[in-house]
Amino acid sequence: MHLAAEQGSVLEIHWDEFTFGLIAFLIILGVVYKMWPNLMKALDERADQIEGGIARAQKAEAEAEATRQQYREKLEEAHREYAQELEKAKEQRATIIAEAREEAQVEARRIVEAAHAQIEADRQQALVQLRNEIGALSTELASRIVGETLSDSAAQNRVIDRFLDDLEQTDSNTQQAEVR
Amino acid sequence: MGADLNVAAWEPGCHIFGDGCGFEAPGTELFNPTPWVDFGLAGAAGVTKYYVLAALSVVVVLAFWYFTTRRAKVVPGRAQGTAELLVGFLRDQVTRTTMGKEGDKFLPLMVTLFLFIFTMNVMGLIPIPGFQVPVTTSLAFPAVLALFVYILWNVIGIRRHGAVGHIKARLVPSGVPAWILPVVVPIEALSNFIIRPATHMIRLFAVMFAGHLLLALFAAAGFYMFNPMSPMGPVLGAVSVGYSAIALIGFLVFTVFELFIMAVQAYVFVLLSSIYIGEAIEGAH
Repeated sequence: MHLAAEQGSVLEIHWDEFTFGLIAFLIILGVVYKMWPNLMKALDERADQIEGGIARAQKAEAEAEATRQQYREKLEEAHREYAQELEKAKEQRATIIAEAREEAQVEARRIVEAAHAQIEADRQQALVQLRNEIGALSTELASRIVGETLSDSAAQNRVIDRFLDDLEQTDSNTQQAEVR
Repeated sequence: MGADLNVAAWEPGCHIFGDGCGFEAPGTELFNPTPWVDFGLAGAAGVTKYYVLAALSVVVVLAFWYFTTRRAKVVPGRAQGTAELLVGFLRDQVTRTTMGKEGDKFLPLMVTLFLFIFTMNVMGLIPIPGFQVPVTTSLAFPAVLALFVYILWNVIGIRRHGAVGHIKARLVPSGVPAWILPVVVPIEALSNFIIRPATHMIRLFAVMFAGHLLLALFAAAGFYMFNPMSPMGPVLGAVSVGYSAIALIGFLVFTVFELFIMAVQAYVFVLLSSIYIGEAIEGAH
């Protein structure tokens, strides 16, 4: 208590301490102001990055949605095209089958006709050959049976032709009967 | 844990149940230390522990701010996180609520005030023998800060609304009938221009002063009552130890409480500064 009484009131503002305090305060204020942008830059950058990140995410989401939509449309189109192609293919198959059937029938008919013609030709050939051979054979047979030689070739031929004509007539009658 | 060992409030050997010398409570002499260097000038305190502690406070604050924001990164480390916590708290709780977005440019000032005041206050809890006292218990230090805010308050008000606009906004409350103005204007003048800055500094000073005195009292009383070798017998010796233990517990509890008050007072000072400046920006309301 004795010291306090000597040195005066505690409410006294000592000017030297005041000056010292002012300098101290201004130093701190100066340094804080000087270093302030450091911290604010980091904070702003962080805010930017967070905002940017959100914006990027939204953009990516929108892009993904658009791409998905595109794919869906493409898929639907592909399905549609596939169905169309299938329809077309069915039609074509039917056409092809019909055509083939027609062709096959024509071909078959042609083959049958060709076979018929061939058979006819063969028969004609056989007939001609047979006629010749029968001529010779019958001549020989006749000569043997008659026992005499038909030296006169003219007579010979006449005999043969007459025979053959008869034969032919008979033969064609028989054939016609067969066909019928 | 004795506060202010250089104080002659008690001499070793002067104890309860002792030779009859009484307890002398610590008084204002705690806050008027004998200067090591006396300038010999009127109104000067000379170089005392206050100078040393104020300088130490500056160093502590600058170190804190330097190491926490020196390499501020987008992804903060622990140190930067601490600074951001403080800045974010003062921005959201103080400047944004009193000044809105515009308050952001006063945020460095508020951060400076808070850090400086809190550090000066905490000097009362750091046990450096002979130096343990809150710097704000010397009225000059709160006075500097309050005066700075007071001048800033006027400068901003005059810049925004002109000298007349600023003074009128402060002296004439809106909605007051004209006939009562002769009474209201002097009261408002006294209140806003004289009493308010005075209370701004005295509030901080007085709370820290009282808190420190209380702690010193607990410490001194605890020391005084500790007398196990009492010449009046071992029973009273044991009683004295019990008294002393109570004082010690009180001291510890109040130390924790005091730390809380130190933070609160720094916050209150900053909040009031912010309200005053916000008022000056706003003008008449």
